[in-house]
Amino acid sequence: MGPQLSWYLALSAILFTIGAVGVIIKRNVIAMFMCIELMLNAVNLTFVAFSSFFQDVTGQLFVFIVMTVAAAEAAVGLGIIITIFRNRESLDVDDASILKL
Amino acid sequence: MTTLLFIIFAGLAIGCAIAMVSQSNPLYSAISLIGVFIGLASLYVTLAAPFIAAVQVIVYAGAIMVLVIFVIMLLNVEHSEPRRKRLKFLVPVALGMAAILIAETAFILYSVQTSEKRLPGNISDVGLTHSIGEGLFTRYLLPFEITSVLLLMAIVGAMSLARRTTVLSATARVVPGAQVLAMDIINPRAIGDRTAIETETTGQAAHLLGVDFQPDRDQEE
Repeated sequence: MGPQLSWYLALSAILFTIGAVGVIIKRNVIAMFMCIELMLNAVNLTFVAFSSFFQDVTGQLFVFIVMTVAAAEAAVGLGIIITIFRNRESLDVDDASILKL
Repeated sequence: MTTLLFIIFAGLAIGCAIAMVSQSNPLYSAISLIGVFIGLASLYVTLAAPFIAAVQVIVYAGAIMVLVIFVIMLLNVEHSEPRRKRLKFLVPVALGMAAILIAETAFILYSVQTSEKRLPGNISDVGLTHSIGEGLFTRYLLPFEITSVLLLMAIVGAMSLARRTTVLSATARVVPGAQVLAMDIINPRAIGDRTAIETETTGQAAHLLGVDFQPDRDQEE
């Protein structure tokens, strides 16, 4: 007997929860950024699990697009982080409390 | 056999994820996150999705994490800053929300437990590069093209964000002693502080503003 679909869904939910807890607990911008990446990956696992259990390729195409969005988010997000650090000399999110860069 | 692989890689992913959240040094968090990505890529292989597994390793563990680690090392922040007291209440709040999320998940899993969906044993081409490419270029062509536009926007946005904006042009000239700047121009965190700060030359003003200033050669000679 192989792993069932619900096992993958449970693993995905656990990873998503860990990522969400990290976003709330962490105060470092880069650490919060990595927690968001972890949440995206948890959702990707759900997509791939459903895709291969239902024999439909659509889920894997969605994973492909999610990865592209994550790459764009990484580029823009790290650009924002560098600009914030250059202006404030700090990576603490509480120091970046105004929207002005 | 598949069950054993699932337990190994799921344990790797969960362990690395917990290590990532509990680390205080962002560099160690990044290394742990790579462990999560590798574990998930292995799970994709067991789910018969080799293309997604390869892209996971190449794009996530390769490109994105290299970018993150590059930024961590570029900024080089010391992580020994003392934690602030008023943030202590965030930890119980986060744990409470995690408990709620887990409870919801357990409820859903309990509800769908009756559906015994098994991984199909027969060989199919779902998940191979051929079927993914066929789907991307026929039925999902429009999302694919929109994604490429999104990437172009990200390139332009990242460039315009990371560019150093200049307040003074290189050819700007002021009368000595007359260059007066307000405090909130020099220090972005002193908002509304209009304290006047006098500088003698354009070079001094440029230095205060953090702008590279090169005097024009023709006028020096």
